Amino acid sequence: MIVLKNVTKTYKTLTDKTEALRDISFGVSDGEFISIIGPSGCGKSTLLRIIGSLISPSGGEIHIDGLTPIQSRSLGFFSFVFQNPVLLDWRTVTENIRLPNEILKKQTRQPEELLKMVGLEGIGHKYPNELSGGMKQRVAIARALTFDPKILLMDEPFGALDEFTRNELNSQLLGIWNQINVSLIFVTHSISEAVFLSDRIIVLTNRPATIDEIIKVPFDRPRKQKIKDTPEFNEIVKWIRKKLE
Amino acid sequence: MDKKKTRIIRIIIPVTTFILFILIGEIVVKVFNISTITLPAPHVIVLALINNWQTLILNTGITMLESVLGFLLGSLVAYCLAIGFVYSPNIRLAIYPYAVALKSTPIIAIAPLLILWFGNGLESKIVMSALVAFFPVLVNSVDGLTSIETELIDLMKSLAATRRQILYKIRIPNSLPNLFTALKISSTLSVVGAVIGEFTGASKGIGYVINTASYYLNTDLMFAAIFLISLGGILFFYFINYMERTIVFWKQN
Repeated sequence: MIVLKNVTKTYKTLTDKTEALRDISFGVSDGEFISIIGPSGCGKSTLLRIIGSLISPSGGEIHIDGLTPIQSRSLGFFSFVFQNPVLLDWRTVTENIRLPNEILKKQTRQPEELLKMVGLEGIGHKYPNELSGGMKQRVAIARALTFDPKILLMDEPFGALDEFTRNELNSQLLGIWNQINVSLIFVTHSISEAVFLSDRIIVLTNRPATIDEIIKVPFDRPRKQKIKDTPEFNEIVKWIRKKLE
Repeated sequence: MDKKKTRIIRIIIPVTTFILFILIGEIVVKVFNISTITLPAPHVIVLALINNWQTLILNTGITMLESVLGFLLGSLVAYCLAIGFVYSPNIRLAIYPYAVALKSTPIIAIAPLLILWFGNGLESKIVMSALVAFFPVLVNSVDGLTSIETELIDLMKSLAATRRQILYKIRIPNSLPNLFTALKISSTLSVVGAVIGEFTGASKGIGYVINTASYYLNTDLMFAAIFLISLGGILFFYFINYMERTIVFWKQN
């Protein structure tokens, strides 16, 4: 269980103060899939990085199962996937997937099992240069799961991919999330992606970002791509789009 | 099949230029009746090479030894300093401006001073060589060690990686392509440094041979010496180039 209480973030320079986040409060229960959406530059990524303890908040409290983000980080609770897959070019796919294990000294899943999960069996010996953008991002996801993190934090992970690959990876991500017990916080600027994937969507306002609304997505799981054609789906998409305009 | 063809062409063309060059040399010297002191014909140079091969090989070897040792010393110090810069911005502030100042000083201006300090032997040439090899490696290594994608550093931080782990697993491998670019530059520069050192004051080495040959107007011997030391420099460069291909395999194509 993740709890955020009145989290704020202000950037100070010598002459200026910029308020990025104001009074953000919400909770994420174990195994929940949450998306964060908002106008570009509103502070979605900042919020994600604050939860994952890469940035410290200026005010408010965050608890993860009663622990602070810094404690949680050192216990290996968090795992990040960014838009840029940032694989190490000098390591094979398998060696890339092992990177977190070398640092955390904790391994619960083998690279081969993870590659199978992301649909890339038998490419462990290849180097990142030999892979397409979509494949690299799958490897990044496999790497993020090797130590069974409690919380997977994804920052527009499919933002650089074409729509076809993106849809494929969306379905695959849901499959993986269904198989393993992980809470997922997903930052995106694609409304339909957020609606398709999430249990709840947190809609942020413009800077300074506050929570505009938290929308519960009613669709049953497992979800198929074709729910995107239903009127309810489009209704939600329209509703969110109006909020962001 | 095509690959083999292009490979053969890539050898044939430069070899042809070489042969043409030699032929033109022979013809020009003959036609214009140029004296051996000004420009010896290629076959005269070859004769000088054969007649003096023992001295030439020995002295080229000495110069190459100075160059390689200087190259190793200069690169090693530069790389360690670059790592120091990454760890402490204060070290960087304290040293970097002076490294730039050193770079801007013509090495030939320092040469007599180095002879004075380190003597007439190999040491002064090694230091000279190290000084010229130092700067390219420093600049490029700092670049390679610090130009890391922010997401990658964030990823490491999210795993609670220590600075040491980030250094070994990310920064050092990431710096290798830049390091080798610099090493290729430094490998040729270090030979220049050693020869300049020998010109300034030495009793051994190819620079010394060239100097004495020039004194006695043995132009053919000078050419032979120049030929051998450039051959040494080329071999050194291609050795580093080969190392780069093996070690930095991920940057090919």
